[in-house]
Amino acid sequence: MLTKLRLFLAGLVLALAIPAAAQAKTYYWISHGGPADPVWTYFLAGAEQWAKDTGQTVKTSFHNGDVPSQQEAVRAAIAAKADAIVTTSPDPGSLVEVVKEARAANIPIINFNTPDPACDFNAYVGTDLHVVGAGWAQYLVDHKLVKEGDFVWMPVEVPGASYGVREEEGIATVFKPLNITWEVTDNTLDQAEVITRMSDYLTANRGKIKAIIGLGDLVTGSIQRVFDQVGVKPGEIPVVGWGNSRDTTQEVLNGYVNAAQWQDPQATSYLALSLAAMATDGIPPGFDIITGALYEKDTAEIYDKVLSGK
Amino acid sequence: MIRRLVAKPEFGPLVLLIAELVVFWSINHDFLSPLNISNTLAFTVELGLIALAMTLLMTSGEFDLSVGSLFGFAPVLMWTLFNSGVTSLPTAFVIGLIVAGLIGLVNGVLVTHLKIPSFLVTLGMLLVVRGTALFVTSGFPQRTWIAGDHWLAQLLVGDFYVGPFRIYMSLFWFIVVVIILGYVLTETKFGNWIQASGGNANAARARGVNVERTKVALFVLSAMMAAFAGIISSIRTSAANPNSGTGYELEVIAMVVIGGTALTGGRGTIIGTVMGIFILRVMRNGIVLIGVPGLAYNIFIGAIILGMMALHSALERRHQSGT
Repeated sequence: MLTKLRLFLAGLVLALAIPAAAQAKTYYWISHGGPADPVWTYFLAGAEQWAKDTGQTVKTSFHNGDVPSQQEAVRAAIAAKADAIVTTSPDPGSLVEVVKEARAANIPIINFNTPDPACDFNAYVGTDLHVVGAGWAQYLVDHKLVKEGDFVWMPVEVPGASYGVREEEGIATVFKPLNITWEVTDNTLDQAEVITRMSDYLTANRGKIKAIIGLGDLVTGSIQRVFDQVGVKPGEIPVVGWGNSRDTTQEVLNGYVNAAQWQDPQATSYLALSLAAMATDGIPPGFDIITGALYEKDTAEIYDKVLSGK
Repeated sequence: MIRRLVAKPEFGPLVLLIAELVVFWSINHDFLSPLNISNTLAFTVELGLIALAMTLLMTSGEFDLSVGSLFGFAPVLMWTLFNSGVTSLPTAFVIGLIVAGLIGLVNGVLVTHLKIPSFLVTLGMLLVVRGTALFVTSGFPQRTWIAGDHWLAQLLVGDFYVGPFRIYMSLFWFIVVVIILGYVLTETKFGNWIQASGGNANAARARGVNVERTKVALFVLSAMMAAFAGIISSIRTSAANPNSGTGYELEVIAMVVIGGTALTGGRGTIIGTVMGIFILRVMRNGIVLIGVPGLAYNIFIGAIILGMMALHSALERRHQSGT
């Protein structure tokens, strides 16, 4: 009796497992970000949530801005016969060859986070950083927070990285015609060092800074602590920038930051994997998905709740 | 008296520090404003705490590359325990320090008993500790806002005003550690053991010094001091990020060496390290104050460090030759 029961259970497990194994696909989620960068933890959470919701396998990896390492990861995914790949672009044009190889192997490859038109990706999901930069500058101009001839300070964590460069290009389209000048400063990815360097710069240049644009999440999320350190009151210097961390949602709610850009990090990962899944089923994604929104005090609560996990 | 002052190993760093202060102040008088001095002191003493313990370890002929990762790991551990309701804040604080001490103990045992160079042991430990911090938190920073009025937070890093100067309690802890470690290194038997272990370990052993135990104790001290500094920093900046402290180990070693401690061991000075700490941090602050272009920051830092090391070397040679 016991033997028969065992055989029945084994048969049942096999019967359930074989179709499930046949259906399950493997996706590679490859990021140029760092696992300790707060915003990337939300991107990762979106990918993990998608895997949980769909029952598919998602293999994730971070490459800390190391282009050869990321190229190797994409090639490894191709060699492993991935069903689809979603990847960021560490530097413009850096993935041209590996994207070609993926396409040649009939593996759909979706770009997310930062667009890279030089590569032949199947689709792009994320914000348009050029538009985001222009949006921040236009916000400051439209709300009369800066005027012709003013000076704007733009702290960034990693100078020269794609995100800051694209944002600055967008900002320039608005500021240059108005003869508004700016300076980008290097602040590192270390929280204590960020606060120290930003405090030093603000102390030295407080008189001439008419507004601040935080080109990354860590610098924008440090504004309250920098203002408190230097003795600047909330709202005394207008601030716009990234808003994908709870530090920034709190700063917007408390009046330290006027407006912050929500990148929809979780949704971006989730949608990129959804597009990839669609492509593996033979439905070609003939469109991009642009995510993101600029929020102010009246809507900051929504994002604060998302980020707090409530 | 002047001759005696000039003959001291701390004289070179002192000259460098004074020169730096004069140059920066003459270019921008706000450099010595109460606000700027207060800001500079806030972070300087946190890094300084690590450098003080590193001075003793380097004097004994070893160094510790895992201090930066412990600076990030200890607060992550403390806040994870506290925020998840597992323990009270003081208990979490003690656990953070004890775990750091155990990591230092492992470093010390591997170096002294398995005879693996401290460079390799602590490099490996750096990766283990940093990776653990990332794994435990899934990369998410731990929130520390709720620490604001807690007595422990006030005791460690509470701020108060002395006239126009905003002073953090961390400055007080820094001064206490300077006095204790300075006394230990110069006035105690243990201090002699440290210098003997770094100068000539075999001769020290022959004279009955327990070189291995001395070094293990210093690895534990170094790890616990890095953890203590990280916890203080996390409360002040209201953030415990698993990535905090990246690269601090090299800056701390540079502070110790600029201060006059020999990289090869055998000779160390706490007062010199205090000056090395201020030389490097004041330089970082000063070049922003005098308005170097934002993206040229690292060019100036690198060039000034090279220039200072050249000057330091010249002063040191002059000191050695007795002129």
